[in-house]
Amino acid sequence: MSSQQDLPPFVKTWKQFYLLLIGWLVFLIVAFYLFTKYFQ
Amino acid sequence: MSGIDWGVLIFTLIAIVSYGMYKSRGTQNIQGYLLSGQSSPWYSVCLSVMATQASAITFLAAPGLAYSSGMGFVQFYFGLPLAMIVLCITFVPIFHRLKVYTAYEYLEQRFDLNTRALTAFLFLIQRGLSTGITIYAPSIILSTILNINTTYTTLCIGSIVVAYTVYGGSKAVSYTQMLQMSIIFLGLFAAGIMVVQLLPADVGFGKAISIAGKMGRTNAIDFKFDWDNQYNIWSGLIGGFFLQLSYFGTDQSQVGRYLTGSSVSQSRLGLLMNGLVKIPMQFLILLIGVLVFTFYQYNRPPVFFNSFELNKLEKSSYKPQLGVLKVEYEQAFKEKQQSLNKLSSALERNDQAEIDQQRTVLQQSDEHTKAVRKQVTDLMLKNDKGADINDNNYVFLSFVTKYLPKGLIGLLIAIIFLASMGSTASALNSLASTSVIDIYKRLMNKDAGDEKYLSASRWSTVLWGAVCIGMALYASKIGNLLEAVNILGSYIYGTILGVFLVAFYIRHVNGKAVFYAALITELIVCICGWQKVVAYLWLNLIGCVLVVLIAMLLQLFLKNTAPEQRQA
Repeated sequence: MSSQQDLPPFVKTWKQFYLLLIGWLVFLIVAFYLFTKYFQ
Repeated sequence: MSGIDWGVLIFTLIAIVSYGMYKSRGTQNIQGYLLSGQSSPWYSVCLSVMATQASAITFLAAPGLAYSSGMGFVQFYFGLPLAMIVLCITFVPIFHRLKVYTAYEYLEQRFDLNTRALTAFLFLIQRGLSTGITIYAPSIILSTILNINTTYTTLCIGSIVVAYTVYGGSKAVSYTQMLQMSIIFLGLFAAGIMVVQLLPADVGFGKAISIAGKMGRTNAIDFKFDWDNQYNIWSGLIGGFFLQLSYFGTDQSQVGRYLTGSSVSQSRLGLLMNGLVKIPMQFLILLIGVLVFTFYQYNRPPVFFNSFELNKLEKSSYKPQLGVLKVEYEQAFKEKQQSLNKLSSALERNDQAEIDQQRTVLQQSDEHTKAVRKQVTDLMLKNDKGADINDNNYVFLSFVTKYLPKGLIGLLIAIIFLASMGSTASALNSLASTSVIDIYKRLMNKDAGDEKYLSASRWSTVLWGAVCIGMALYASKIGNLLEAVNILGSYIYGTILGVFLVAFYIRHVNGKAVFYAALITELIVCICGWQKVVAYLWLNLIGCVLVVLIAMLLQLFLKNTAPEQRQA
């Protein structure tokens, strides 16, 4: 397996992909919080 | 169900199974049979792990939960993306590098044969029993909806899954799961659109959510920490993380799915995409439940959604009391509708004072209808102590069969079959892998050829299929088996996770220490569970922590024994 194949799509390293996923989780939590507040 | 619905149902099932069998034809070696020849792209891995985790109950219970108590259940999945990251950093590269077939194979390389055999044995017990329930739980619901005996629905689901899993192995499982998930997404999307279409003309999507929100059904986030509340952000992030890590990291039914990835990158990407998609998907499924809730504010729902249990009560000596409760329920619904119309107008005018007033009235009448439903379920229990008084699983299916157009009903019933088949197929494949690789090949017949192991894998799948179908048929005779199997899982998962955490992160601990730690922990966990010291979900955490601590302690006493240098 070449090192090129080991790279994730969209970002340069796997670490950046993990951070992207954590950022996505934070975004979802904030979005769900706003959803809860808005429709309450 | 109409002829069109039966046609759609039968066509969907035949088409998907045929596709899976066609794509997996010509599997001639054990690697191809158990790991799809490790050739799956990331999207196949992603859909496969999603299909394995999403049982039929996921699609039935989630909208029902949103209907009865709101959207808080989505928080249960908050730990999943974090668990995916840990898996990608630690578990996936090690499993791929060592070219293992099962997760337990790695434990022999890291510790010893005893530890491998113990964890494989624990997995076989837990997964073997729970797969029977994976078949049985949707069977009983489908039999109620389709008015067919449970034996036939159980045999139908079970025999189809066994047939294509035996024939095509892991590849057939992956290909059918890809199509299954596509059909599931399509069906749920169509159902969501139909619910909005069926709402009154002046109630659009936004207003429907607003109305549900005013009645406490859009509570997706709860920051308050409370031991008694199982769905808040903290239990989701912390408890959910451990639960998902142990499930995806140590349960062969999941490990076997991402090991089919053609490389570390493809397996990683499949898991990370699962982490990206899973929470929004659950949110949307719950949102359908919320829309169904609003729909039932304008259309009187049955006093109890499980018609089988309700009919039993109708035919009992409690019929007069049920009649009185039905009248009270009808009255409460009419009162609620008046208030609902006022709320609807207030929302259009944006009259906050009126909105607040009607919200209070609506919440009171909602409590009133809940109280009437509680009295009905109390009557059910008086009539039959074994009555199933939780009708969450029936809310969505009851709506589907009563209000959706012909064709779509068949498609949504097919979804229930497909979801059940997807998770059952993965389980059977993992049971066969563990039985053949960790038991037969390692302990009974070490030097047989590839053909012999392939044949053993097929026979093992047949055998486990028969055991699981037998369990599912027997389950109908034991009322609380579902809970018993869940409890059994909690007895075992924590210990296995503890063993893997020691293997990955505490390198100075050797095989003997972790093996005895696992045995001692199992004993303590069984005593805690037996004596009901804590709620059974906490046994997962206790088991995991105890294995780690006891293994480290034992290692101190065994320090004269040189730590094994088998770490890859």
